[in-house]
Amino acid sequence: MSAISLRTESLCVGYRDRSVLENLTIGLPAGQSTAILGPNGCGKSTLLSALARLLAPSHGRVFLGDADIHKTKTRLLSRQLAILPQFPIAPEGILVGELVKRGRTPWRGLFSPWSATDTEICQKALIAVGMEGFAERPLSELSGGQRQRAWLALVLAQDTPLLLLDEPTSFLDLPHQIEVLRLLQNRNKNAGTTVVSVLHDLNLAGRFNDHIVLLGPDGLVTKGPPETVITPSNLKKAFDLDARVISDPVTNRPMVVPL
Amino acid sequence: MNRQFLLIFLLLAAASLSLALGQVSVGPAALWNGLTGGDGAGALTVQILRGPRVATALLVGAAFGLSGSIFQSLLRNPLASPDVMGFSAGSGLAILGALTINLAIPMPLIASAGGLLTAILVLALARPARGHNPLEGAPAVTIVLVGIGIGFTAAAISSFLMTRLTGPQAAEAQRWLAGSLAARDWSHVLQLALIGAVLVIVLLPQIRNLRLLELGSELATGLGANVKRARLGLAATAVLLAAAAVAIAGPIAFVALMAPPLGARIARTADVGGRLLAAALTGAIIVMLADLVARASLPGLQLPIGVMTGILGAPYLLWLLSREIERGEL
Repeated sequence: MSAISLRTESLCVGYRDRSVLENLTIGLPAGQSTAILGPNGCGKSTLLSALARLLAPSHGRVFLGDADIHKTKTRLLSRQLAILPQFPIAPEGILVGELVKRGRTPWRGLFSPWSATDTEICQKALIAVGMEGFAERPLSELSGGQRQRAWLALVLAQDTPLLLLDEPTSFLDLPHQIEVLRLLQNRNKNAGTTVVSVLHDLNLAGRFNDHIVLLGPDGLVTKGPPETVITPSNLKKAFDLDARVISDPVTNRPMVVPL
Repeated sequence: MNRQFLLIFLLLAAASLSLALGQVSVGPAALWNGLTGGDGAGALTVQILRGPRVATALLVGAAFGLSGSIFQSLLRNPLASPDVMGFSAGSGLAILGALTINLAIPMPLIASAGGLLTAILVLALARPARGHNPLEGAPAVTIVLVGIGIGFTAAAISSFLMTRLTGPQAAEAQRWLAGSLAARDWSHVLQLALIGAVLVIVLLPQIRNLRLLELGSELATGLGANVKRARLGLAATAVLLAAAAVAIAGPIAFVALMAPPLGARIARTADVGGRLLAAALTGAIIVMLADLVARASLPGLQLPIGVMTGILGAPYLLWLLSREIERGEL
């Protein structure tokens, strides 16, 4: 899959009269995994919404390759860019298999029959999240971790070169968080998918991502590889947190120890 | 798994009963004779007296059922339906207004205009709170509650207009407002069938959007739906379906509210398409049976069909409301 980059240009977004992000120009490296980090209310999810065309900017633009995504047909974008919101809604009584099938919508005509390719891609998505035996199970009967993996299978079935996720690990316990992050890491390494996620856990974000966008109360603090972004002075700026950063004994990635 | 055939069987049974039973009952032989184009007293009862009435009931019920099902999927709320949200009352008011000033425009057009205007008014008044996600629109409960208020207002103005009508016109309007299938002929059937067919053709390509919208507006956008446009298209289709039914049979209450959940339960279907079909079939069954009971239960007296659906629907609405309150949704 060719890597297309997503970037913002003097982006300003907000809700009604409240501006959340101002004049933000960043690029999300194609083919890499990026974590968006920052304190509560700093606009992480707002940025992701703008990147995913869910929220129109008041100024500035978001580009996917050369195309302004807020001027591109949403259906065309749905083949390039998948988004998993923080709170997707589960239709009553839906089975996991049916849910994953909906991920194929961007690729199918209005009345075109279900193809062998569609089946194969859905099957692969279920295997990728380790839920191949769950297609006939109702989503509502699954545990929180399984449910999150089923939603991930849906966006994987969408088969896009870019994947945006809003807090994909919230409400999961540590093993399930790692499971989800590993799965995204595999997708990034194996399929070359550009992955952008909003995360809370600094250590996990640094461990599983190539690139970090760190936001603070006043907008962008800095961006770059985890080692250069997760430093005591940046954490102080973004979170007003006094911490030491050591290198973790397993992967040498930065690890935050609050003081 | 999928039991649509059960609904189709029930529909055929209800249609046969509706054709056979009444002030004068028709035996199976005469019923068959009538359906296959024969003549004789029983056959004529089937063809001329009851045939159009039963066919109207079927189409009216199916239109209400579809409309309710679209709204309930769209707003993800079991209270959403054109009757509860006042759209039917708006259509009714428009028709009554047209009767009052002797406006010579076809009823379905007037009903559609009334329904659409009411829907626009409800949506304009049910504005989302500040800081609310702009993609989401107003919460379903707000829309439903505003709709109930607008519905009452429309009903009150209708009652006022009723006092301005006199003589046979007043009696006719009274009967129509309560919902009635009396004296419907094949021209009514044809009219409704044509409008219904057009609206179903308009609806079919929108089912994909409805299926995506069920996942929430963010995921729906991610999967390629233009959420605002999709919602508008579906809501307009649903308003027009209800308006077509109201124009022919009056604002029969509760059918659009009850048919979707009942149909989904009987057909055991969870998918949007299956639920739409089940709601249409169930709506048709409810209206046919309600009409049968309304005209055949009390000898020498025809109850308005709205009375019958009200006897069933009002307790259901109360049960729904109490459940929503328990769940903290209201």
